[in-house]
Amino acid sequence: MTTLQKAAAKGPGGAARLLRYFTMPIFLGLAGLALYLYVGTQDLDSIEQRSLNAGTLIQQTARLLELAAVSTAIVVTLAVTTGVLLTRPFARRVSPFVIGLANIGQAVPSIGVLALLAIIWSIGFWPCIVALVAYSFLSILRNTMVGLRQVDRSIIEAARGMGMTKLAVLFRIELPLAVPIILAGIRTALIINVGTATLGTFIGAGGLGESINNAIRLDRTVVLVAASGVTAIVALFVDWLAGVAEDVLRPRGL
Amino acid sequence: MRTTRAKLTQLLGLFAVLFLIVAGCGGAGGGGASGDVDLSGAEFTVGSKEFTEQLILGQITLQVLENAGATVNDQIGLAGTVAARKALESGEIDMYWEYTGTGWITHLGHTDPIPNRQKQFEAVAKEDLKKNDIKWLSPPSPANNTYTMAVRSEAYDKLGVKKLSDFKQLVEENPEEATVCVGTEFSTRDDGLPGMEKAYDFEFPKQNIVKIDEGLIYQQTDKGKQCNFGEVFQTDGRIAALDLELIEDDKSFFPIYNPALNVRKDVIEEYPQIAELFAPISEKLTTQELQALNAKVDVEGQLEDQVAEEWLSENGFI
Repeated sequence: MTTLQKAAAKGPGGAARLLRYFTMPIFLGLAGLALYLYVGTQDLDSIEQRSLNAGTLIQQTARLLELAAVSTAIVVTLAVTTGVLLTRPFARRVSPFVIGLANIGQAVPSIGVLALLAIIWSIGFWPCIVALVAYSFLSILRNTMVGLRQVDRSIIEAARGMGMTKLAVLFRIELPLAVPIILAGIRTALIINVGTATLGTFIGAGGLGESINNAIRLDRTVVLVAASGVTAIVALFVDWLAGVAEDVLRPRGL
Repeated sequence: MRTTRAKLTQLLGLFAVLFLIVAGCGGAGGGGASGDVDLSGAEFTVGSKEFTEQLILGQITLQVLENAGATVNDQIGLAGTVAARKALESGEIDMYWEYTGTGWITHLGHTDPIPNRQKQFEAVAKEDLKKNDIKWLSPPSPANNTYTMAVRSEAYDKLGVKKLSDFKQLVEENPEEATVCVGTEFSTRDDGLPGMEKAYDFEFPKQNIVKIDEGLIYQQTDKGKQCNFGEVFQTDGRIAALDLELIEDDKSFFPIYNPALNVRKDVIEEYPQIAELFAPISEKLTTQELQALNAKVDVEGQLEDQVAEEWLSENGFI
């Protein structure tokens, strides 16, 4: 039984625990409603109307989610794999070098990376993805390595003693035990990516950043509040989803 | 006891040091035409928008005022038209260069530009002084930094868009080629893309409009991959440098954008000499002059303050 099923099966106490899952979505729903009402009471001029209409907002939100989802999927695959490889004995010498590269990826300001990619490569969706991956790589890589390294040596020895191969130890002992820490890193990266994806507007990647940038340039406060508010709601919602995923994916027995 | 030779060397060394000190003092103001106007004891804050031409104009203003003996606070490079205008209205800056078309449409809220250069200036100057206590110094510069569409010269004949009216046909016959790179301001301003589309009775397909940072448009238009056309500024030095062709505004939709120094009324009333200080400078700034100055920064990579200083001293202003 999954965590959710167990909680529901435990009667009223379990139901209360289930309700806790819904506090955030309810709060976000109310925040969204408040924003909607605020915008609704304002008299929008022609410039504001171009940004604040259902079609534009939905399309931009969808684009932002797309940028965050695709970049997270890519960075998780790459970073977790790299993290696993770097904790193997053969990678001891390469490890600091790779971490150094990941450090650079996070240290260089995202907008600088975007500008560089626009000049040497191209503009649009994929350069933005590359910049997002570069930015969140370090966080997930580090968490993967820390998570794997903190697995108790004696457990691994016991498993080897039982006759498990190295690969079996990795997939059945090390990774499951490292999952909580790795997931925490993924969750952080995901939220950062939602916010950073708004910079994609500078190289034509679209998303809510477009309305935010518009609002700053043309001094339209309503648009700024609305677009930033929606971005924050999206980020918190994504965080909530990741939290639910964390609970569901946590291996039983931990 | 020092020998005569040693004493002579010592004296020579002393003179050398003195000479260097005096030489280092050179250029610190007072020379040129603006040295005739005295603004010592005055303090001003000069602002500007963030693109190259504005940075150069801001530097020109700052250096000319300093040369006349004033103390100048540097607020050059504010982020965008509205930021600069708000700063002027609130008193955070005392002056910046604004364009007649922008003033008329964006700041004063009119929808139709006046197609005559002098009349546009007079209308904007009169209304802004009356409503907002902002003085537009006369004469405005003859340069016209208007929005215009550009295309890489290799594709100029192939795409067949030589005037803005040709876009309608392109969108109907060849919509995949009707791709355009625009900046954020242009894409939402009434005197920008929406107005242009309305005036010329066509619409770029939504997915063909690529919105990027203004600085990247020139290079992307030259590359021609994501967008065939780009929104550019007529006085930009990169148009010639990247060999871009301009598309003719045959219906004269775009307003005239002559730069003129906007000064707060209370500042200009206290220091009316500022007007005579900048009148000859404004007259000298033609479209070609501005293009050349812009090119020095954007193409040759020189710094704006350097470029401003050279131009001012070459023309005898400092």
